[in-house]
Amino acid sequence: MGMPMDPGAVTAADPAEAWATEAEVAQKPEEPSLSAREWVRQNLFSTPFNSVLTVVFGAVILLIVRGLLNFTFSEEREWDAVRTNLRLMFTHAYPEEQYIRIWVCVGTVVVLAGLSLGLVAGRGRGVSMKKISTSLMGAGAAIALAVVLREPSVLRDADGAVRRDDDGVIRESFIEAMADRWAWWLLAAVLAGAGAALWHGLGDTRRRGTFVPSVELGVALTGLLVLSGWVYPWGHYAYADGEFIAEPGRTVAMSTKLPWTVMWLLLVAFIAAGRALRRRGAGTRTRMGLNFAWLLCPFALFWVVLRDPALDWARVVSVDIPIAVFFAALGGAVVWVLTNPRIGELGRIIAVLLVGVALLNWVAAFFGWYAMLQKVRLSFLLMAVVALLAHNFAGERAKRLRLLGMWVAGIALFHYMATLMNAPSTVDTPTDALIGGFAITVIVSVFTILFSFPLGVLLALARTSKLPIFRVLSTSYIEVIRGVPLITILIFFAVILKLFLPDGMSISQLAAATLGYTLFSAAYLAENVRGGLQSIRRGQYEASDAVGLTTVQRTLFIVLPQSLRVSIPPLVGQMIATFKETSLLAIIGIFDLLRMANWVIPAQTQFLGVKREGLLFVCVIYWIFAYSMSKHSQRLEKKLGVGER
Amino acid sequence: MSNTDQATLAATQSQRPPFYRDATIIKWLAQVLALLLVLFALVFLSSQAQSNLQAKGIATGYEFLGTALGSDLGSGIDTNPDTSGRALWAGGVNTIRLSVGGIIAATILGILVGVGRLSSNWVVSRICSVFVETMRNIPLLVQIILIFVVIASLPRVQADQGPIHGWLHISNKGVSIPRVFIGDGFYQWAVFLIIGALAGWLVMRHRNRLHDATGRETYPVLSFVAVMAAFAILGWFLHPAFGWVGSIFDFIAEAIDSLTQPVVQVALSVAALAAAALWIRRFLNRRRTPAGLMKLSDDDYFRIVFAVAGAVIVILFVTLAWPGLSSWIINSGRDLFEVLGDKFGDGRTGQPIDGKRPDIEQLGNFPNYGPAGLNLIQGLAAVYFGVVLYTAAFIAEIVRGGILAVPKGQTEAAQAVGLRRATMLRRVILPQAFRVILPPLGNQYLNLTKNTSLAIAVGYSDLVQVGQTVYNQTGKTLEVVSIWMLFYLACSLTISVVVNFFNVRLKIVER
Repeated sequence: MGMPMDPGAVTAADPAEAWATEAEVAQKPEEPSLSAREWVRQNLFSTPFNSVLTVVFGAVILLIVRGLLNFTFSEEREWDAVRTNLRLMFTHAYPEEQYIRIWVCVGTVVVLAGLSLGLVAGRGRGVSMKKISTSLMGAGAAIALAVVLREPSVLRDADGAVRRDDDGVIRESFIEAMADRWAWWLLAAVLAGAGAALWHGLGDTRRRGTFVPSVELGVALTGLLVLSGWVYPWGHYAYADGEFIAEPGRTVAMSTKLPWTVMWLLLVAFIAAGRALRRRGAGTRTRMGLNFAWLLCPFALFWVVLRDPALDWARVVSVDIPIAVFFAALGGAVVWVLTNPRIGELGRIIAVLLVGVALLNWVAAFFGWYAMLQKVRLSFLLMAVVALLAHNFAGERAKRLRLLGMWVAGIALFHYMATLMNAPSTVDTPTDALIGGFAITVIVSVFTILFSFPLGVLLALARTSKLPIFRVLSTSYIEVIRGVPLITILIFFAVILKLFLPDGMSISQLAAATLGYTLFSAAYLAENVRGGLQSIRRGQYEASDAVGLTTVQRTLFIVLPQSLRVSIPPLVGQMIATFKETSLLAIIGIFDLLRMANWVIPAQTQFLGVKREGLLFVCVIYWIFAYSMSKHSQRLEKKLGVGER
Repeated sequence: MSNTDQATLAATQSQRPPFYRDATIIKWLAQVLALLLVLFALVFLSSQAQSNLQAKGIATGYEFLGTALGSDLGSGIDTNPDTSGRALWAGGVNTIRLSVGGIIAATILGILVGVGRLSSNWVVSRICSVFVETMRNIPLLVQIILIFVVIASLPRVQADQGPIHGWLHISNKGVSIPRVFIGDGFYQWAVFLIIGALAGWLVMRHRNRLHDATGRETYPVLSFVAVMAAFAILGWFLHPAFGWVGSIFDFIAEAIDSLTQPVVQVALSVAALAAAALWIRRFLNRRRTPAGLMKLSDDDYFRIVFAVAGAVIVILFVTLAWPGLSSWIINSGRDLFEVLGDKFGDGRTGQPIDGKRPDIEQLGNFPNYGPAGLNLIQGLAAVYFGVVLYTAAFIAEIVRGGILAVPKGQTEAAQAVGLRRATMLRRVILPQAFRVILPPLGNQYLNLTKNTSLAIAVGYSDLVQVGQTVYNQTGKTLEVVSIWMLFYLACSLTISVVVNFFNVRLKIVER
């Protein structure tokens, strides 16, 4: 997919989406376009003091850039340590023949992302042509600068050994080096030339202010990247079966480029599908369904694709399915009966009885009165909670039927996951860790965010509640957790949690760590949500009391939707923080990205003590993800117009 | 409305709903149930832990603090501690030093970068943005480890090298700079400083009043500094004169020592009861109107009952559950004042503050930093620079946001009344920006303090790292974690109290 260059043609095809409308351009005030000389004078040398600043800081930045370049491209750098260990850094010891599972995971996410992009995105203005042309020129200039700053290459003998004399390695002269890097000069010239041509070709300010939709631009750029896998000799590097493979001068392995090509095609196809859905008038319901799929996909992917449970079908048919059906039916009946507006006092009595039974099950578990499957206990508890809340959702027949359907779906999902969790995994990994590297970072952060969100909302509600004991409990929890460092909590969960568990119960280290992260992050989330809760005006409460809503109805339908909208930016900030904090997994001995770079790779015989390269790579990975998330959250903030109402 | 209607209405209103529909009762029942549930879970888990530990043959308790620790610390006030307690104390001091030094440096750097991002100079603002975006988006732990690894790859210590020989040394052993430390007579000198601050404050108040009365420029802050400096200089030579202050502390220590356990128990019980009584009185006062006490609702009665119950629980705790608490209070109070008595006591006539330049000594095969200079050894340098750079990026954003939050009208108004640019910044913009900046700044200080715990990854002996050594040797994980939590909670509390103090003072006085 190429970049559309002729504004007229595309405007005719799809004026509303691809390009800013005439009106939008007209609304924008004419920006006086400064000449390059004028810009430099105003921004760099406006006063003597400013000139000194520019010179000093310019020199500092050149020195830093030079140092980084010389470090990165130095002949002594062993980037092979990163290249050959990419697999280790992303999935640890996950068996190679099972990689298809990981691709299925990535594919699912790509499909969902494509649908979302097609359905929702592309309504913004996108990237302006002005920005594109200046970025191209900037990239050209940056490459030229880098070529000049990078110190001359070392000279090598015929057999490839580095030539040395008493002072160290011998380098070629500056002139030779500049001549040797002709390809880079060419690239710089092409980029800068393309940018300049675009700039002048567009002519006046109005055309420069037109926009290329960012989805198309992103798809085109990723397409170019994928295509380069087929044509450009990136080289083939791997560390398989204890053997170190390094073959520069060929294209990347088929096992890399083929799946990524498929992923890219999937992305394109599903963006198109999403667009088609949108054109056919897909409404809120489609979007809700998509959101629901996003919510479910971590669980589904984790349990089904990564764990692949070996189900004992006889037991599933004889025990698991009957239990699920039983609870679907019983709970369905409870929902149906208790949401009847005419049920009155009887409904409360039933609800209280159910709560009693649910609590009794747990008490009995502690004293060992009777045996019961854990998921049965949990189902009873779930049912009791639903029964307690049911009267808040009383309504007409259609609404009750919908609630009934939601209960059945929910209980089916719950039992599905409980069954899968109890079955052993068929994925055969060489170590006891199922998966590691960057994958573990993603898994832990996604599950932490998913689990800590409801907990955080509950804590925030308790903290702002009028009931003193709830308030005190919640406040002390939040303040204690926020007062101590994460690492102490992680050590507590990784080392000490075992001591607190009753006999016969065990928890894997990863689950314990995720639990620690969840409880930690919930306290911070609660504070963010509380900020949103406090922004709700008194009138909202008074109005909902005036129309006779119950406390639960007021909270669920009036207060929470408004307050969560306000607290979305800080919530995204908390997500980024959680993502960065997963690096602490390395300290408690889980093989995450950082542990690979700092402890595992430097212990390999080929790369003894090579740490800096891997750590820099880890920095780049974290930076890319955290930076794009924070940029996205800034856009979201603008879109939501928080603080403007 | 007729009389009979009103009577019926009154009758219906006075009728209570059945107890299972009474909102007050349900609310309190739910709360008490929740409380019991939490308590039950805690008791259950701790009993489980106790029995699990017993099965392993590990007794719970804090006796291990007095037993010997078989390993040394890398750095700190005591690198070869006798006991585990002493080792943890040295680790805690390391954490505090690291945090205080980090807070100072991060604040300065953060303000510079934050102001730099708003600079009209393109190069400066770009550098500052790149700094902020880089630091904020890379996990602190990764940064710390990267700095550690980079330091390790620097050249070896040389006897005659270092960027500025004798003042600044940078090598694979870390960074060494001149050290300033408090000398023998510091505490006596501090008495002078306190008196100076008091006198300076009085002078400042007087000058402020003079300014308010006459409108003349009276330089209140300048005069405060001048008085303070005068006392500091005077004290530098005269500080041995205050040797008698120590005996006051000695006297207090003796007084505390003469207390007996029951006295403290009674005092604590009385304090708990008094607190409950005070709370109830305040509570009732708030419900007192000119027409008399308002009718108390069931909710209010429940609250009063809970206040009394809380006091009773405290009394039972100090008398029956943990009688040792009282003797612990006596002992530690006595020890504290004895130490103070010693520090302030006679016979300390040295210079209050002293300094030394870094030296390099060669004991084995390779030269290394000597004890004279302030040595930021590898691990310490990594954690220190890591937390400083990371926190500075966040502080820079806060500073920028605070300055941008001052409405443009303020600047325009200041220009309109003819203030000069410097005066405008000092009197109009910065005070208002500071009000916005302070609360999140305090939060960042808290974060920095907590983040120093990442020292565990590079082996610098802060509280967490020492704690890990201790529990690896003694098996007392629970106790060590409780010490960590108490320590960090105390730090958090201290910082938030300080920040709150300034926050309250800076608040706009609203009419």
